Amino acid sequence: MSQGLDLPLREQAAAIAAGELDATELLEATLGRIEERNPALNAVVETFPERSREMLAAAPRGPLHGVPIVIKDEWPLPWRAQRFGAADMLAEATPGESGPYRALRDAGAVVVGVGNMHELGASSTGNVSVYGPARNPWNPERCPGGSSSGPAAAVAARLVAGAVGADGVGSIRYPAAYCGLTGLKPTFGRSAMAGHHMAEVSTTIVSGALCADAADCRLLDSALFGEELRAGAAPALRIGVVRDEVSEDVAPAVRTACEAAIEDLRAATGGEVREIELPELAAATLATVLIANSESLGGITPERLNNIDPELSPIGRGLLKYRVLLPAVATIKAGQLRTLARHTLAALFEQVDVIAWPTVPAVAPPLEAPLVELPSGTLTADEANVRGGALANLTGIPAISVPVGSSEGLPVALQLQAAWGRDELLLDAAEALEGANDRRWVEATPPPARETL
Amino acid sequence: MEPANSSDDFIPAGLAALGIEADEIELAVIGAAHQLFWPPILELLALDTSAIPVERNPDLSRAPRR
Repeated sequence: MSQGLDLPLREQAAAIAAGELDATELLEATLGRIEERNPALNAVVETFPERSREMLAAAPRGPLHGVPIVIKDEWPLPWRAQRFGAADMLAEATPGESGPYRALRDAGAVVVGVGNMHELGASSTGNVSVYGPARNPWNPERCPGGSSSGPAAAVAARLVAGAVGADGVGSIRYPAAYCGLTGLKPTFGRSAMAGHHMAEVSTTIVSGALCADAADCRLLDSALFGEELRAGAAPALRIGVVRDEVSEDVAPAVRTACEAAIEDLRAATGGEVREIELPELAAATLATVLIANSESLGGITPERLNNIDPELSPIGRGLLKYRVLLPAVATIKAGQLRTLARHTLAALFEQVDVIAWPTVPAVAPPLEAPLVELPSGTLTADEANVRGGALANLTGIPAISVPVGSSEGLPVALQLQAAWGRDELLLDAAEALEGANDRRWVEATPPPARETL
Repeated sequence: MEPANSSDDFIPAGLAALGIEADEIELAVIGAAHQLFWPPILELLALDTSAIPVERNPDLSRAPRR
């Protein structure tokens, strides 16, 4: 018996509310499944069964009553400080009630474990972590995506039906894409962020859900937003496409699948596809990296950099030291480019409802060497992925990654971006796309999720 | 004067000026990052951004004010 483990998040919640599923049994079954499946994946880095049982005992009859959730190692819990995937996060970390924790608790959910993440949230791959890398359930030798690597791998392998990630430069959408999940990067400021160690300084990071499909994301994100994200039929969508490297310098199989998905979405909503221009896109990518990097430096001194824990990876240590060499004037200009990109997008969103391009230009690369082959040549996955992921963080708009195909036995994903505050439209569009392909890709499961206890 | 893309001078001098120590592996990482980031940073610095409207303390949850 799977005790409801394999039900979608919303069906777990509904079954518990209807008295058809025992929340205590679900929690114990979830802990058992983590014990069984997690060693091969390293998706969950810590469980705390007694804390979870206490949380369930005190859980209010909210919309997620009794539903087990994994939360990324990026927020403190009342009984555990976050580690940010690192031996040394160069910031104070103490146990406490983070915004996402409160949102989950108040909705009745049960935090059942902490999800692995890329060290310091600094990559799209997930291949470096103080805990060792999480592994992609579709192929354990491939990257799960980062930085929300553990939350994505946990949901894909059906350890849990939903997880909370964070997205500062694509960090929900990349792992959602690599693991075949749906992941929403909310409009900046709309989802719970209190208690994050950079909450007061970051202008790019948001919390958000990773789930199997858009309806589950809608439910979990409603808790994180503190408001119901109502479902509606997607209108006749005006879909903007950019004939730029973000959609052209893409692995052929990814390009084919994403173009087919865009056509499916157009047909399903009775909409149209419009070519648009985003001339700031390439510079916006650099601008995002500069802004995100400089925002992380506020509490750092040269002395502190000379005393980094040697267990932090050499890449982490080197990149931290390089960041302080970046010229301040470049960050000022990055801010100006942010303004320009925001004005360009505001004008574009009068012509189109969503902008679509591949979430990542190639499927999950090998853990040992995260490189991708693109028409332009061999690139690091980070260099390639940031092209499509950064714009939403730079400008504050919401974006969603939706699975739309498969190549080499690994998921392929399309990203949809919309105007500020139109998170619900993205969820509606994602559901329309799911319907257009008979939910083939959101219901595809990797090998570990096909096993039974 | 042509800007130098080489990390040979800039990185050791910059780190030394800030009193930051780096071992050989860290220097290799920094050098690789510099090769990746510095050319587009130079392009960014060369951009004339004087015509871009100022958005002071932008509210990133909303569209920019016209």
